[in-house]
Amino acid sequence: MSSATARLLEKTVVTFAASFLTTAMFFPRAASAQDAPKAGSSQVSTVSSHDRWLHVRVTNPSKSEETVRVNVPLELAEKVLPTINKDRLHSGRVRFDDIDCHGVDLRALVDAVRSSKDGEFVTVQNKDSDVRVAKRNGTLYVHVFEKNHPRKSEVEVKVPMKVVDALFSGDKDELDLVAGLHALSSQGDTELVSVKDEENTVRIWLDSKNITD
Amino acid sequence: MLLAKIALGFFGTVALAGAYTFHEGLMRVDEDHHDGRHVHVWVPAAIVPMALHVIPSRHFDHAVAQAGPWLPTLHALTKELKKYGEAELVEVEDGSHHVRIRTHQGKLLIDVSEPGEDVHVSCPLATIEDVASQLEARIPAA
Repeated sequence: MSSATARLLEKTVVTFAASFLTTAMFFPRAASAQDAPKAGSSQVSTVSSHDRWLHVRVTNPSKSEETVRVNVPLELAEKVLPTINKDRLHSGRVRFDDIDCHGVDLRALVDAVRSSKDGEFVTVQNKDSDVRVAKRNGTLYVHVFEKNHPRKSEVEVKVPMKVVDALFSGDKDELDLVAGLHALSSQGDTELVSVKDEENTVRIWLDSKNITD
Repeated sequence: MLLAKIALGFFGTVALAGAYTFHEGLMRVDEDHHDGRHVHVWVPAAIVPMALHVIPSRHFDHAVAQAGPWLPTLHALTKELKKYGEAELVEVEDGSHHVRIRTHQGKLLIDVSEPGEDVHVSCPLATIEDVASQLEARIPAA
């Protein structure tokens, strides 16, 4: 082999090695960038069916520029909650033994609701407010309508009984939030909480989209 | 010929070092004041975890003690957020104030706009996770 051929071969090997190393360093990032949707497309993108998102939206109908939007992946909440140990929240469970329940045994109440047939359990109507608690097709409904005090407001809560059961699946006097979130993730798209008063509208709902609307 | 080989080696090394330094992207903090002042801090993200290795641990004791209880949360949060390349997490609009927190191509982006000032922060999630892991490792065993 002539010396010119040897030098050419040497240069080729060096160039190939340098190109390979550079490509190896950049390629994973380039590939992941291609996998991710483009920035503009995030406004319409949806995620795979197993991804469930909890959305919170607070709007002020009289002031359209006041809005709060929060979108949380349920899986993320399930993984992060157990790491928070603060006050009554420990390992994804919140203790309610020292919360004032006005002497009501919540666990006994839930047991009673669970074992009851579908129907309306509580109906209170007075000059200040209307309260209705009902169970229908495995879902617990709570509807509160404040007529005057402190201002006119309407609260609707819709919780699947599976979620309620999961919440109370822990020890006595504690709510298992992680189990509740896990149970929630198996539910279809659903509106959980709706609060409307003269100033604000609050909505909490569950779906498979990573944006509100 | 020798000069050419030295030049090839030098520029090859510079190219590889540059590629490694920037392979995790940039950590950016941009502060734009409407009176014309601008502050832009751009740091290669790969440098931050490396810098933590070199800084003496005594300088971290206070920070680790303060942030310690939240480091596992930060670690879990960034690890999970990496799964969501494009996500709008929080958006708050209140008249002329606007806060937006989102992920974009593996980075956490925080944008704050208020009268007279705009702040934009961009940090690769991998860097936050690295930093959280390193600080977690410095927490003294109970």
